[in-house]
Amino acid sequence: MSVRKSATASVRRVATLASTTARPTTERERERRRIAILCLPFFALAIVAGFVPLAMLVRISLAEDTIWMEGWSLEAWETLATTPAYRRVAWNTLWFVGLATGVSVALGVAVAHVLEKYALSLERLVVAAVSFPIALPGIIVAYLIVVLLGRQGLVTNAVAVATGGAPIDLASATAITGLFLGYVYSLLPRATMVLRGTYAEINAQAEEAARTLGASRWQTFYHVTLPEIRPGIVAAVILTFRSGLAIFGTVLILQSHRVVTLQIHEETSVGSYSPDIAAAIGLVYVAFIVAFTFVGLRFVENDAVEI
Amino acid sequence: MTGPTKSDESDGDPGSAPGTARTDPRPDGGATEAAAAEEWSRSGTALSTAIGRPLLVGVVALVVAFLTVPVIVTFVSSFAGSAAGVVPKGFVTLEHWRQVLGFGDHGVQANAIPGLAFSLAIATGGMLLNVIIGVPVAYALARYDFYARDWVNTFAILPLVPGLILGIAFVQTYPDHGRSALGLLAGYCLLKSPYMVLTVQSSFQSMDLVRLEESARSLGASWPRTLLTIVVPHAKRGIVAGCVITWTLAAAEFNFTYMVASGSPDPFAIFLYRNISNATHLQSAAAVSVYFTIVVAAILVLQLLGNRGFSTAQR
Repeated sequence: MSVRKSATASVRRVATLASTTARPTTERERERRRIAILCLPFFALAIVAGFVPLAMLVRISLAEDTIWMEGWSLEAWETLATTPAYRRVAWNTLWFVGLATGVSVALGVAVAHVLEKYALSLERLVVAAVSFPIALPGIIVAYLIVVLLGRQGLVTNAVAVATGGAPIDLASATAITGLFLGYVYSLLPRATMVLRGTYAEINAQAEEAARTLGASRWQTFYHVTLPEIRPGIVAAVILTFRSGLAIFGTVLILQSHRVVTLQIHEETSVGSYSPDIAAAIGLVYVAFIVAFTFVGLRFVENDAVEI
Repeated sequence: MTGPTKSDESDGDPGSAPGTARTDPRPDGGATEAAAAEEWSRSGTALSTAIGRPLLVGVVALVVAFLTVPVIVTFVSSFAGSAAGVVPKGFVTLEHWRQVLGFGDHGVQANAIPGLAFSLAIATGGMLLNVIIGVPVAYALARYDFYARDWVNTFAILPLVPGLILGIAFVQTYPDHGRSALGLLAGYCLLKSPYMVLTVQSSFQSMDLVRLEESARSLGASWPRTLLTIVVPHAKRGIVAGCVITWTLAAAEFNFTYMVASGSPDPFAIFLYRNISNATHLQSAAAVSVYFTIVVAAILVLQLLGNRGFSTAQR
């Protein structure tokens, strides 16, 4: 009884809210209408291009007949839950992206530290070089790794000349190290971007005090600087890990490690076409990214994880 | 102009005290024992003092080399005649660029120009649509404090759904129209909208919106008129910067395009993919260099606008 009453009450409240927003009489209602008008275009596109397709993915993953979208079955989810190969893909993705994130953030701390603490003569150039790759899509990153480590690659040829080996044996672009460097190439600029922002805000006086009191540089960094930049490191890890999960172009070209994006691509290709499994993997993947982001946001400020 | 000056400040401030234990002048203005302090504050014997700086500078040099050398080598070798051996030889030839752009007698694509034009047109369309959807949301988030503001903010600035998944979902949901220019347009717009919202938002946050709006309102302007003729023009720089960023990133958006594109004509991202996956090394270099030139042009425009570049976070 009371449940129904409260339900009707809340429906009525929403209806009143909607009607006063549509036909406002007070200034507060007018402001609410303005906010609604301002947000409307974005949410219209988000619903058409984002939410409806995602809902459709749920339907596909539960459909018995994926061509006509008829019937209901849990087959795709069962396959996903019981096949060990999919668990392996998930594990592959997590450790690989996690490792790439760790390396990128560690290097990002070094770069941000040097840019902020040392007076470098070419600082502008370093900043430009470190932020340029943000605009490069994954396929181009893959090509750049081939330029370095491919059969005609720069490093490959240099090592071949130095050691007298054959370039073909030394090429590692399509080995897992090549892919790993590709991930780092994409992620390092983002980590550095976040960490530079954090470094710009820290209080240099505490470090000076520590140095004056006789702490070595490493002690100062470990006991004074590191606690201050910890929020930045957490933000960088969240941003980098999330970006790393979404990398597809690099792995499509280099194809040396089966991560989730490559697996989704596999499930939608002609040979092994199974859209229901692809949809199920996609949903798990999106749910993981959203959950990870929201859990991560609890530990840092919202605007530290932007882009 | 905020970008360069801001970074100058941040360089200059700690740059003057790069860990060398600068002693602050005494607050009463008297002379400090600077010389003595200099002597005992240096713990020169610590290992990290001796090797820390060279080591870190070495790491940074390595990182910078890793990030820039392949880009430079790609661009330079796109003008080379042959790539056999350690370094490319036979400069300068425009042969690869001609093949990539469809003017040569062989190459992956007979004529790449229509595809490029198509993709650039779609990127432009997505950019314009982004102005329409992104600027109002950015204004609402910067100006008003409302229920669920944090949620709207999170949705508007975080790219939560990867382009690959969006592409698959799109094609399955709209089988008739998904693989069309319209589908690409909507996808590019949604995927790149965070960049627009963030850039415009930071430009709104730097102005006194309430006062600006109230002055205009008190002089008799209606709210829509205030918004369109006073507020938005003030954020012009931010909007243009957001346009440059969204356009450049949309032009080469690969993950979504790969899933959605129908192949007639080939968008720019697919053009890159074909040239990278089944062309000669130097021809790929030329194809990739096409995008480098776009990015460099975009960065130069952003510099002129006083924006820091593609990094929209951390204003």
